[in-house]
Amino acid sequence: MTDIKPANPLEMIAYVLSLQIVDGEVIYIGTGLPMVAGILAKKTHAPNVTMVYESGAQNPIQGDMPWSVGGPATWRKSPLILEMAYSFGQMYNGYVDKAFLGFAQIDQYGNVNTHMIGGDFHNYKNRLTGSGGNNDLSSLAKHLVLVGLQSPQKFVEKVDFITSPGFLTGGDARKDAGLVGGGPLSVITSAGTYDFEPESKKMRIKTLHPGVSPELAQMATGFELQKPEGEIPVTPLPTPDIIQILREEVDPRGVFTSLPGC
Amino acid sequence: MGKFSYDKDVLENLRIAEEETHLLDRLLDYESAREAHANKSHAAIDKRLSLKEAIGEYVKDGDILTDTGFAYVRTPIVAYFEIIRQGIKGLQNIGSPATNQSYMIPFGTVTHSHWSYCGAEMRGTDRQMSRCVKAGKTKILSEWSHGSMAQGFKAAQLGVPGMYSKQLLGSDIIKYNPFVRSVDNPVKTEKDPCVFIPALYPDVTVIHVHQADKFGNAKIYGPVINDVAIASAARKVIITAEEIVPPDALRNDNKGVVIPFVYVDAVVELPYGALLGHMPGLYYWPRRMWEKILRHWAYNEDMIDDFYETFILGCKDQYDIIDKLLGGSKWMVNAKRLTRAEEYDNEDEGVDFNYTEWTREDPNPEDVTDQFKPIY
Repeated sequence: MTDIKPANPLEMIAYVLSLQIVDGEVIYIGTGLPMVAGILAKKTHAPNVTMVYESGAQNPIQGDMPWSVGGPATWRKSPLILEMAYSFGQMYNGYVDKAFLGFAQIDQYGNVNTHMIGGDFHNYKNRLTGSGGNNDLSSLAKHLVLVGLQSPQKFVEKVDFITSPGFLTGGDARKDAGLVGGGPLSVITSAGTYDFEPESKKMRIKTLHPGVSPELAQMATGFELQKPEGEIPVTPLPTPDIIQILREEVDPRGVFTSLPGC
Repeated sequence: MGKFSYDKDVLENLRIAEEETHLLDRLLDYESAREAHANKSHAAIDKRLSLKEAIGEYVKDGDILTDTGFAYVRTPIVAYFEIIRQGIKGLQNIGSPATNQSYMIPFGTVTHSHWSYCGAEMRGTDRQMSRCVKAGKTKILSEWSHGSMAQGFKAAQLGVPGMYSKQLLGSDIIKYNPFVRSVDNPVKTEKDPCVFIPALYPDVTVIHVHQADKFGNAKIYGPVINDVAIASAARKVIITAEEIVPPDALRNDNKGVVIPFVYVDAVVELPYGALLGHMPGLYYWPRRMWEKILRHWAYNEDMIDDFYETFILGCKDQYDIIDKLLGGSKWMVNAKRLTRAEEYDNEDEGVDFNYTEWTREDPNPEDVTDQFKPIY
């Protein structure tokens, strides 16, 4: 156990994400790191977590890492599978505690873009996937956890397209727009974890991963990060036990947590 | 046809001219959908046709075609290939997701798009789709989220003019959707912004199912997604089925029968009709094939001719795809084993899901089979 390799950045994100999950919650997730985090939480501190998917799949037993949100691993021995409209409906009706989402761009108010990068709607640099369920989750979920890599290209002053509303222009803007969900609770990245200042709703450093200074985090960000009062805590590292569970039981093929050369 | 109004700013954002709004009307036109539903035969008669006949009879130039299943799960891709093969042009494509329109655009099959999601999740963004939209080969008529579009189809199934939704609020999507409208909840005392999502009535849909009887009653195993709602809404419904069973089989075991025969215009027996995708309970994705589609055939513009040669001309049907491209019977056995093990209907201990991803530097680029691995 003592000679186990430390967590790579993706494993670190998966671990920190898993800590966002409280036992007994229903979580709504997409493929990738949120899936890894959900299974890790289930195998460690949150054995009674229930995972649901936009394809309508509910509470599968664990199998291989899913290839797609619609694939069998998301509904492996599910007691039932809901239609898509009903699957989002359970979020509006209050049955989902947290939703986990990725982003291509995010701004200081947690607004997310998965539509297009650069230029405008017709003359873009890259067209991305579009919303999928991203807008639905961010509109409706009680709490939203956003996850992605951090860089000035991704953490931007203004997103090129608001696919999914965070706190819009801050303050009470989200509530005034009529959105029911609570908005972004936290942002988990390769550099640290962030929350949102309660009044202004601006993104604020919560913890930084070991070796990351506030200056370094700011350099990887295209807007001014808010800082908490007092010392910024260091994000806790996963224990060797947890790393071992992650590598041997959660994602043994390294589908989402392996890095070349690590 | 009823008359519909559209927000001028939204039309301008999408660059839809006033004289083009007739392209939008039919998706909302409840009267003509109801008339189409009323005028089709309501009798339980034998509706079996060949795939060629069904597509030729029911998919017409300019129709609004619905993508069904979930991107590459139980999606009627073999039927889509037949639509391309028959040279049908100018379709509008709508669906949540609407991933399969991508390869239909370069041939002029699809020229107008309603977009909620186009891509392949962890396999990455779809460069072809991005390229085609920018070059104006397809025009985006509306932007959606999965959930809001699902509400539009569901409203049609429920037989109501639309729904009040809490999705899309505050986003830019609403600025690029001429169908939805910001409205206030009429029963709340304080201001309560909502989005009105009208019922959506596509022209034609193809839905791939596990079993159907000759009348069109259809059984689905695994995620249904939006297909029951779409089947009730579409003016014309083609069912492609892995197998045709006697009507009594569906009476005796009605679990999973979700589409009633009255909606259905044509029934096509089409084993492996969800290739190149996955069919719950029956066959797993050819994973290297999907990677090659995204990383090779969709990668550069000039590869689309090779795609046409390979899939539309080079393979006349799904059996050719299995025999010529995927490795024949070994692929069939392996694909069944992988999905049954992943669903845990078969013992999964010892079943190896590892395979080598197809990459642009692949040492064996012609090999699109997932390696067959005997358990013993």
